[in-house]
Amino acid sequence: MRRVIVLVLLYLLMQAVLPLGEGTPAALVLMAFGFLILGAYSVGELATTIRLPKIVGYLAAGLAVGPSALDFVSQPVMEQLAPVSQLAIALIAFLAGAELQLKEVLERGTLLLKIMTAELVVSFIGIAVTLIALHEFLPVLQGAPMTEIVGFSILFASVAIIHSPAVTMALLSESGAKGVVARTTLGVVLVADVAVVLTFSGALALVRVMVPPSGSGGLGVLAVLWEIGGAVLVGAVLGAVVALYLRFIRRELFIFAILVAFFGSEIAGLLHVETLLTLLMAGFVAENAGGGGGEQLRHAMERAGDPIFVVFFALAGAQINPQAVLKLWPLVIPLVLVRTAGLWAGTKLGARWANAEPEAAKYMWMGLISQAGVAIGLASVMANVYPERGEELRTLFLATLTINQTLGPIMFRIALLRSGEATPESFRGGPRQTEPH
Amino acid sequence: MSASLVLIIVVATAYLATHLLYEWLAKRLLIVSGAEYLVLGILLGPQVSGVIPVTAAESFGPIIVLGTGWIGLTVGMQFYLPRLVRITGLTFRLAVIESLVTLGAVTLVLWWALPALGLTSQFWAIVPALALGAIAVASTPAGLDIALRDRKKREPVVNQLETSLGVNALVAIVTTGILFAWVHRAPTSALRPPTPTEWAVITVGIGFLGGSLFHLFLGEERQVDRLVVSLGGAVILASGTAAYLNVSPVLATLVIGIVLVNTSRARNELRTVLAAAERPFYYVLLLLAGLSWKPSTSATVFAVILLYLVTRTASKVYAARATTVWNNATPQLGRDWGKALIGQGRLTVALALDYARRPELPIGDVVFTAALASVLLTEFAAARLVRAALLPIVEPLRDLAQRLPWVDADEDVPAQATGEQPAMSGAGAASSGAFIAPDVEGASTLLPPDAEVTPSLGGYALGRRNLVREGEQPDAADVNKAPPSDSSNEPR
Repeated sequence: MRRVIVLVLLYLLMQAVLPLGEGTPAALVLMAFGFLILGAYSVGELATTIRLPKIVGYLAAGLAVGPSALDFVSQPVMEQLAPVSQLAIALIAFLAGAELQLKEVLERGTLLLKIMTAELVVSFIGIAVTLIALHEFLPVLQGAPMTEIVGFSILFASVAIIHSPAVTMALLSESGAKGVVARTTLGVVLVADVAVVLTFSGALALVRVMVPPSGSGGLGVLAVLWEIGGAVLVGAVLGAVVALYLRFIRRELFIFAILVAFFGSEIAGLLHVETLLTLLMAGFVAENAGGGGGEQLRHAMERAGDPIFVVFFALAGAQINPQAVLKLWPLVIPLVLVRTAGLWAGTKLGARWANAEPEAAKYMWMGLISQAGVAIGLASVMANVYPERGEELRTLFLATLTINQTLGPIMFRIALLRSGEATPESFRGGPRQTEPH
Repeated sequence: MSASLVLIIVVATAYLATHLLYEWLAKRLLIVSGAEYLVLGILLGPQVSGVIPVTAAESFGPIIVLGTGWIGLTVGMQFYLPRLVRITGLTFRLAVIESLVTLGAVTLVLWWALPALGLTSQFWAIVPALALGAIAVASTPAGLDIALRDRKKREPVVNQLETSLGVNALVAIVTTGILFAWVHRAPTSALRPPTPTEWAVITVGIGFLGGSLFHLFLGEERQVDRLVVSLGGAVILASGTAAYLNVSPVLATLVIGIVLVNTSRARNELRTVLAAAERPFYYVLLLLAGLSWKPSTSATVFAVILLYLVTRTASKVYAARATTVWNNATPQLGRDWGKALIGQGRLTVALALDYARRPELPIGDVVFTAALASVLLTEFAAARLVRAALLPIVEPLRDLAQRLPWVDADEDVPAQATGEQPAMSGAGAASSGAFIAPDVEGASTLLPPDAEVTPSLGGYALGRRNLVREGEQPDAADVNKAPPSDSSNEPR
């Protein structure tokens, strides 16, 4: 009820204020930012009451207040809020890198890599082929040369194969599950985050050569190498600096976290290296060389990022054009089905290849359906590089993501219940079944 | 190098300086750090080097509005009602008189001077004059913080300064808030433009709404993460809404602060969140103020600055002195406590920025320049001014303590009683400022063993050795010995 009152108050405030005000654009941007934090957060919490993930609520809130509906957050305001999205992407990438524990990677690395490789490759091929086959349903690819169709299909597939560490970790934390299915799923999701960023960076560089973006020209091979190799280098240096700070100073991590994300994002842009990969590498180095301070920084970053992520997802929702999504439904449904099938087949294949436990082989695919976090960041990068075609690909992706993000947590919950690693009571905060099965 | 990157580097430097340079300067030299960021902003900005161009500087607009709102919030958090009711009537009286005299004097002098100097018409002169009058009332608390550091006890003069700082801030913010409501440009889209009174009510209403949204949003939760989102959302929304409606964001967030500190059970956690961001936020605001500064085209601006500084300083010093003498409070407060209010800082910058960003108001550049000049010239010396103002009243007490045989030389001493009755009664009510009763917790060590202590008169407890001398390091043992304040859990 409190959430509803907050939303009603916010709605009335905006209705009353917008006609009265003639302030500067800066003021309008700030007002919209505050409105999105409180409004989208409230909708996100309302979503949880009907067993939907918060992120679906954020996206829905953005959709409702965006230019397609209420227009409280207009297109110019969204453009002004672009630095928020940039910061969110940087934070997400850093956090994804920081979640990679070197110890865990070394212990179960081979098994995780095999399963991940199989499921990513199968899903990637399935999605790319589906998009190539159904490209006529995507207006920007209608009548396009085959190079462009293949290029954008590869680019889209490199984004669409991603998972959601945030959802996975949230559900595991909620249920307290620590069994084989839980641990293997989490491991694959985390390693896949890195792999997908690398895949996307490679795919983007490839597509830039195949289809040069308007106005900026294509990229040479050396530039591509620098964009990826340089990102690893710059990220490692940045991560080392952060690690030194964590070892010797370790104070005011909240503000430090925001500065690191901003600085990393800016420096990557200045040196023309891949932003996501830079921050991801920085996160990985900082976490594993920070002398135990990495966890504190991660928590500080999550805290600092909380309102930023809310606004970021809400802005992503505001950018969804429902009419465009409706037009794209002949593509959305097949893509969701193909991806799900790819996950099922890929994990079965990978589990057999890695000799994984039967429980993991049977249920793990259900934990990989959710999509969020870095995925939206990647889709935003795609839209920035190719303003027109990338924008439509992002709309298509957000449409598939909405379905995956809604189904994903439900499916993972079922997987944990069926594997016996969690009980309905543990999801409600009751006694937890934590023994591995 | 991009403007954003320059800003990030400067902010990072400021951030590190907060913990390194600031503390070092404060401890060793009693210097309040901050004004250098103003100079740095001017040097980096479009008026000098152009490292950060005009367009980039303008793109930082939302941060400026948020920064001014944040400062309003921190001021509002000082007004905790249970603590306010323990302050004596005399203390409030002195603080209010000093504030209003400063406001009136600076306003009147500049109301006369601005048209005389040809800067504005007689009709419009009242607006910048009143703005400068309000800005002149504000004083920085940084001097007191540094001069006394963590060893603040309940000396009457310290209590007076704390109260005066709060009242000064309140008068300054409310005056500018009313001024912005009064000279508000009518929106073309509204059916009937709101009246100035309605704009003032709207400003306060935004604050109440922000506070209400915070509570509704937070619910029963007290997690810091949740608190950050709630507080951030409420302040950003209120600042943005006030700025969008062209009313005062500082007044709106001041109201939020007052609402929160008096209604939230998480007030201590809120203080922690605010404290973590306060100084870095201030440095960013100073930097952006420097970037936003535009030199006035008229040389007469120097005359305005001079008049502003002289009138303000004279008002602060002599109004405080006159009203203290008039109220027979000289034995407890001394005659020069007004000197401790000369330093200007964060609130001055916030109010000046808020005025200068309104193109419809006259001579914004002159008002802004005068305010920045005052900050540049007074803030760094604020701690020394506090020390100069307090030493004459505290030193005699030190001598007195040494002559009293039952008093431990490291402990607090009570002041002599003059017999004047307390202005307020009841538990926790302080004396009227003339009668000084000891702090109840410290009484057993401060008074003779057979002395009677009346808890209902607990209030001021004069401390000796609270002032930090130049180069003196705090004595950990002394800090540990300090009797717990009855309001140690409350926002200052």
